[in-house]
Amino acid sequence: MLNRLMSATAALALTLSLAPAQAQTMDWDAVVAAAQEEGEVTWFVWYFEDRFREFTKAFTEEYGIEVRIPDGDHIANIDKMIAEAGRETGDIDVLAYGFDQLPNINPELFIALDGLPADEGRVATVAGIEGGAVAVAYWGNQTGIAYDPAKIADEDLPQTPEDFAAFWTSNPGQFGFNYENGGSGPSFYMSVLRAVSDVDFSESDDSAERIAALQGGIDFFNEHADDYVITASNADSITRLSDGEFTMVAAWEDHLAGLQVNGEVRDEIRFYIPEMGMFGGGNAVSIPANAPNANAALVFVDWLTSPEVQSRFNVEFGTAPMNLAADDSAALVSMEMRERQTAWPMRPFRDAVEAHFIDAVILER
Amino acid sequence: MTLGRAAYILMLLSPGIGLIVVFIGAVVYIAVAQSFGYYNLIGESGFSWSFWIEGIDRKSYLRAVRYSLYVGLTSAFLSVALAYPLALWLRKPFPGSMTISAILKAPLLVHGIVAAFLFLNVISYHGILNQMMVWLGIFDEPRRLQNDEHAIGLIFLQVWKNMPFALLLLTGAVQAISDDVLNAAQDLGAGAWQRFLTVIAPLTVSAMQASLIIIFIGALADFTFQTTIGPTNERSLAQYMTFMKDRGRWNDAAVVGVTLMALSLAGSVLLAVVSRLAFRGRRK
Repeated sequence: MLNRLMSATAALALTLSLAPAQAQTMDWDAVVAAAQEEGEVTWFVWYFEDRFREFTKAFTEEYGIEVRIPDGDHIANIDKMIAEAGRETGDIDVLAYGFDQLPNINPELFIALDGLPADEGRVATVAGIEGGAVAVAYWGNQTGIAYDPAKIADEDLPQTPEDFAAFWTSNPGQFGFNYENGGSGPSFYMSVLRAVSDVDFSESDDSAERIAALQGGIDFFNEHADDYVITASNADSITRLSDGEFTMVAAWEDHLAGLQVNGEVRDEIRFYIPEMGMFGGGNAVSIPANAPNANAALVFVDWLTSPEVQSRFNVEFGTAPMNLAADDSAALVSMEMRERQTAWPMRPFRDAVEAHFIDAVILER
Repeated sequence: MTLGRAAYILMLLSPGIGLIVVFIGAVVYIAVAQSFGYYNLIGESGFSWSFWIEGIDRKSYLRAVRYSLYVGLTSAFLSVALAYPLALWLRKPFPGSMTISAILKAPLLVHGIVAAFLFLNVISYHGILNQMMVWLGIFDEPRRLQNDEHAIGLIFLQVWKNMPFALLLLTGAVQAISDDVLNAAQDLGAGAWQRFLTVIAPLTVSAMQASLIIIFIGALADFTFQTTIGPTNERSLAQYMTFMKDRGRWNDAAVVGVTLMALSLAGSVLLAVVSRLAFRGRRK
């Protein structure tokens, strides 16, 4: 009797412990079946559209669901999603965007992603910004300095604002960064401002006092204005570095890696994160509330954020994987160096710093 | 005119006027309303002067206005100034004139962004121009020519792209001037420059006005050339508006957008009036 009671108790316990997982698996199977019934998913992503069209063929082979990727612009895609939020059925199944844009978007425009199968490795918080129930990261990126090793030795790479100033003075016109059309330059100058000024960049407060406290950093850039070059964009910086015009430029790790894989930038160009730290973050995907193929969108997001796909992203695009179970051995920087990553400043402080830098430094050149 | 007749005419005109009123009018209305706090895509909507008061007080705004006016006016005047002698040269057909005319108008077929990147390839650090200058011994080493701070490259590209349009309008206008009129002026002792000022310019002032206005509006609102080859220490109004919009500041962006529309309108009226006044007196 005792044995039968123990067996029954154990069976009940086992049943209870398995129940959620089984239920979830069954639910997920139903989602996949419904997704396959829908047959297609439209992913709005604003970069590498051609390469993603190739890359997502693996998804189509695995699930039989076609992936459509229209060409688009980052903000234009977000604007489109917001503009058509009033429609019962929109055009976007999955929207990609920079994690830093999330605070600007009403989360009610997205569906909750709690229908995804459990995956503890999936990342929903990047650089201090929480995706909550509506956003998960699929793309990890890092800003830093791309350099030409034929012109500067690793041991001479600047690590602090003082080092950069010394490099600028002894190598005028050999360092470039942008202030618009990409975030690598803003990451560089804001990292310097943060290192030089005694201001907490993790606070979102954009009061005039906090902006005024950046004056030391503003003076730093103005004193050396003749020795560095302002470029037109992220791409312009890297192109001119590869072309031999510069020794160092501010850059994105994944951007550089992607261009090198494509053969558009010399393989010799290398990348590092200075000891003063530079900002890193990632891109998120969400599913609009009026997505025409919501089940296919869920299956696609699950596939996109899986360890296998994130490991392939690392190899093919040089991204920092956004699944803890993924392999990141193909990255341009070591895990040790990646510890120098700092979080992007919170908005609206970040916007105020950018506007102030343009007024006080760029327009004064 | 009876009311029915007026309604009939209005109905006939409505396909054309209706499009203007509905499409352009709606955009203008939303932009103006947004600049006063309405149609706020993120946050509360409501009437406010604050976006204008704070907007026009910003250094970036004033610089963008000044810079865009400089680009718009310089591009318009240079394009028309260069188009006139070419139009006069091509006034009478001569062997090869059709080919020359076609080549001169070719930039009209090249899209702006393509032209900008082609130009960038020519003037880049290791571009064709630098290589040639080094090879000729004029430069010791390549020079940094792109994104020059005086916008010389940008103005050059604006003129390259817009001059053919002015040429297209002015060629027709100068060809319409009869030889008798020009011969009479010459018989009365007018030199080449005087014939241009007192006969050709007054008789082609309408084409001149159209060229100046259309080129001015396009160059004033330039975004493509500015973000590609323009100076990095200046921002055009279109660039500044995009900067605001990209940060979710729709009302601030609308202030810049409405400014752009107002400057286009005011500048066009000014160019039309000035060119008409400048040559009306000479026509008497």
